Amino acid sequence: MLNRSRFTMKESAMSVIRWLGLAGLMCLTLVPLGCSPDRAADGNNRYVIATVVKVDGIAWFETMREGVEAFGKDTGHRVFVLGPAKADAAEQVQIIEGLIAQQVDAICVVPFSVEAVEPVLRRARERGIVVISHEASSQQNADLIIEPFENAEYGRHLMDELARYMGEKGEYATFVGSLTSKSHNEWVDAAVAHQKEAYPGMVNVAAKIEDYDDQNLAYEKTRELITTYPNLTGILGSAMSTVPGAALAVEERGLQDRIQVVGTSLVSVSGPYLKSGAAKLISFWDPADAGYAMNKLAVMQLEGKTVQEGADLGIDGYRELAGSPDRPNLFYGSAWMDVTKDNLAQFETK
Amino acid sequence: MEPASPFITLEGIDKRFGGVQALRNVSLRIEPGEVHSLAGENGSGKSTLIKILSGVCRPDGGAITIGDQRLDSLRPVDAIRRGIQVIYQDFSLFPNLTVGENLAINDLLEHSRWLVRWRSVRKTARDAVAALGVDMDLDQPLGELSVAEKQLVAIARALLHDARLIIMDEPTTALTGIEVEALLKIVRRLKQEGVAILFVSHKLREVLAISDRLTVLRNGEVVAEGPAAEFDEAEITYRMTGRRLHANRYVLPSDWQRQPLLKADRLSGRTVREVSFELCAGEIVGLTGLLGSGQTELALMLFGIRPCAGGTLLIRGESKRIRSVRDAMAAGIAYLPEDRLAEGLFLEQSIERNVVAADLASLRNRAGLIPPSRLRKESDRWLTELAIKAPSGQIPVSALSGGNQQRVVLAKWLSTQPGILILNGPTVGVDVGSKQAIHDQLRELAARGMGILIISDDLPELAGNCNRILVMHQGRLVDELSGADCDADTIALRLTSF
Amino acid sequence: MRKLILTHEFVLFVLVVLLCVAIGIKNPAFWSLGNVFDLLKSSVTLGLLALGVLVILISGDIDISFPAIAAFSMYVTCLIAQATGLGDHIAILFGMAAATGGLLGAFNAVFIHFFRLPALIVTLGTASLIRGGLLAFVGTRIITDLPESMVAFSRAQLFRQQLPGGETIGLAVSIFILVGVALLVQFLLNHTLLGRGIYALGGAPEAARRVGFNIRRIRFFIFALVGCLAGVVGIIHASNMRNANPFDLSGLELTVIAAVVVGGADITGGKGTVIGTILGTLLLVIIGNSLILMGLPTEWHKVAVGAIIIVSAGMAAWRRRMGRNSGRRK
Repeated sequence: MLNRSRFTMKESAMSVIRWLGLAGLMCLTLVPLGCSPDRAADGNNRYVIATVVKVDGIAWFETMREGVEAFGKDTGHRVFVLGPAKADAAEQVQIIEGLIAQQVDAICVVPFSVEAVEPVLRRARERGIVVISHEASSQQNADLIIEPFENAEYGRHLMDELARYMGEKGEYATFVGSLTSKSHNEWVDAAVAHQKEAYPGMVNVAAKIEDYDDQNLAYEKTRELITTYPNLTGILGSAMSTVPGAALAVEERGLQDRIQVVGTSLVSVSGPYLKSGAAKLISFWDPADAGYAMNKLAVMQLEGKTVQEGADLGIDGYRELAGSPDRPNLFYGSAWMDVTKDNLAQFETK
Repeated sequence: MEPASPFITLEGIDKRFGGVQALRNVSLRIEPGEVHSLAGENGSGKSTLIKILSGVCRPDGGAITIGDQRLDSLRPVDAIRRGIQVIYQDFSLFPNLTVGENLAINDLLEHSRWLVRWRSVRKTARDAVAALGVDMDLDQPLGELSVAEKQLVAIARALLHDARLIIMDEPTTALTGIEVEALLKIVRRLKQEGVAILFVSHKLREVLAISDRLTVLRNGEVVAEGPAAEFDEAEITYRMTGRRLHANRYVLPSDWQRQPLLKADRLSGRTVREVSFELCAGEIVGLTGLLGSGQTELALMLFGIRPCAGGTLLIRGESKRIRSVRDAMAAGIAYLPEDRLAEGLFLEQSIERNVVAADLASLRNRAGLIPPSRLRKESDRWLTELAIKAPSGQIPVSALSGGNQQRVVLAKWLSTQPGILILNGPTVGVDVGSKQAIHDQLRELAARGMGILIISDDLPELAGNCNRILVMHQGRLVDELSGADCDADTIALRLTSF
Repeated sequence: MRKLILTHEFVLFVLVVLLCVAIGIKNPAFWSLGNVFDLLKSSVTLGLLALGVLVILISGDIDISFPAIAAFSMYVTCLIAQATGLGDHIAILFGMAAATGGLLGAFNAVFIHFFRLPALIVTLGTASLIRGGLLAFVGTRIITDLPESMVAFSRAQLFRQQLPGGETIGLAVSIFILVGVALLVQFLLNHTLLGRGIYALGGAPEAARRVGFNIRRIRFFIFALVGCLAGVVGIIHASNMRNANPFDLSGLELTVIAAVVVGGADITGGKGTVIGTILGTLLLVIIGNSLILMGLPTEWHKVAVGAIIIVSAGMAAWRRRMGRNSGRRK
């Protein structure tokens, strides 16, 4: 009896301490999540436009914020950028819920998961909020969808560049972030199809190697490719991390004259390799311009202007929009930018 | 046998935990080279007394004298330095280390060496084993040893510290008969070398066989103390529990009518060979045999855990095939497993959840849920009926004593209202008082018309509580005793005659 | 001899050799010196983390916050190096990162020891706290202008040679950090009282307390050790990548724990060896870096890795049971 009551007493005291500890831990964990948007307010003829990005704080979307803010300065509309602290579909949905409650005029969204935001975007549109989507060509609940370029066309462009560096012959490998990243796969599929048609001298020896957007994996896989295919002369990258990873492996092996690395990336991570010659060309689109274009479209839609093929959004790469035959509200820019050793200097800030 | 100075003397020790008086005015004197037994039911204060002797607990009052030094209290280090060693029930050994390292680890810690010199570890270990006069593979991982071998390691480790008093907490609980003999031999050897032993056990037979003197505790007080020769089992039991236990055997009532509940005809399994027997309402039948004679498999077959390879089974006159536990329960059979901790209880769950675990179906409401009120009512009924000592039904079963745990298992199966109850080793690890309570309960259940089958090696238990005893040997039923033949000596004779 | 053959390490060794032979038959390029150097370099970060996790698993705890600690230590160290110019010598950077990591590890131990919270929950929490804090308060920008010493460290190679095709290969010096740490951990675990205390704690915690081990000190030591190793890994990783990316090194925890368990450590504590852990690491690195060599299509890569992990862990379990039955396990 005696030992037992002591046992329960001690045990309950312990569990109190335990819960206190757990609560403390949770408080600490929640600290970084506490951020709230500005209260939106209407002005005369000025719209309130929110841009919701995948993750707040990373370089890509910080650049997008610059474009959005430039648009605000140019036009006088109230614009702001929000995003979850970490890449998380549910948190992005919550942020949009909050914007609906604040009754903003328009929401521009770069969805983390196209499917996950469909219901909340439908609700937003039902409340009369204009919805513009970006990097989401399959979005159903949006007034307008703007893509920097058509994926297939971009893929063909990258292949043209790779073929040029490879002299239109030789073995090459392609990378994707993962087999589930939609745009990466569309780029690579179009690129390979284009190669078969236009460059019969080239062979795709390793298709869609996954690097999970991880530079280290891209590096290790490239080393393995070099070992496996002694005649490899080209690598086509898709994720931001592929070109620096692959170029690092190429540089380490001293093969920059033999292997041509081309792909989507950013100057900040790939610049040194363009300079050293381990990477030949990177291509990207400027998220600042995309942010500008989205907000411009939102205002056009709010003002009741129809957006058609050939429309000019007043910023480079979006001066003559291309339409889509089966989706009247889907538009493409031609906003990719190529960076090589030669024009690197003018992009060093990107 | 009365040397001039005792090794340790406790005088007027008091200890309270919260509102509970754990020890009241307890005095104890242990001479060098003496085997002193400490007997008492669970909760009588034995563990507290061990803790005070080993310095883990400080007494609230009283004095401790070691040699000629009087101390108010003892710290664990002091206790160890003065040669007091405790061998806990779990031995405090490390299953993942070798025997040698287990032996030497205290030595390493004591000298707080930063580095481990394996050569000196081996030497320490060899010396320890040699001192005990046993032979052991020092490189074997301890986890591979039998319980008895582990105990030897624990004793050898204690001796390394120039132990002058070794406290053994329930040392024989998990040992087989032969192993107990070996242990007692070692105890005698230690005694010859002048080491005192405090033997804490509820196995009264062993207590009497080994002790020079004994002290009996009840509710935190010393109720008897003296040379072991002045006690017998009945006397110790009386002192421990405060009541005289009936020694009358179980006999069927005069108006008993033969009403077969279960009839097995040439049942065979993996080790069981063509066993036929009958169990009637109101009977308590014992099933015994040397270890591995097939008793447990027979029970598992009846309960649907092991498959029957042949033979037929009649339940209340109807032929039944029992292929699963569900079939067995539907036929009104309940089974209390041998290892209640592993098979019979959800140790970390509350008492009430355990009690109702076997009979959830009858507690469900229309929505298929179990309302907490219904659960509590059902479990409270059993707590009262079986006199389970627990502050509430919500505490985990692991907080209960062995006897009370066993009663929770019993409650779990009785709540299914079985007609046939099979118990395997129902009182292993249970103290005398609880044992008695369980036996009383079984008799009462039999009187209400249940048929009970007890599998046990505890011959006095069978002799005292069964009206018939079946003896198995190598899978066959070889003997049946009833009436006056049902006494422990007769059974023992039959068991050894094969 | 019989004892040796029955050890987990031996079985694992045979498995690694068989795997190498099989891959080598499929593609002889596997045995090229360049590939062997590549595999060794790839083993460094995984191996260092695995050694830390080994110590934790032996003590009966678990830690899944070490990738976050590695990223944090790496990023903060690089920021400080950038701001102060400290970092002419790589050893200073390693020291700073190890100290940062060690402090964060000790932070884990505070919650685990004093609040008696399960290590899994605590480190799950601190992992998200450390990574979230890094991104929210410290920065998200990828640091590309690392101190010269780090780039030099990643460029340093032994046995450097040029192959006929113009390709240069060499053995990265970081492999010696792994070898050194492995020897240190081996010494710690087997020849110090602290090491034996870690085994004792994992085998029987209550008994370890009773015989007088200082459990608090052991806990703080092991969690700080994992933190230190994570910090070192962070610097090696950033050097290898020539940039410090705060998003890097995530999702490593399960691979590392898998390597240690494949290496024979018991997730319930008390068992595990350095040599087994190194073999487990090698096994995972070889599989992960030979899928293209074997010509497997990308779709099959995950399947192959999963299958090998299950086979090797399953073999260990099977062998352990056989060993127990025969009662002859070493």
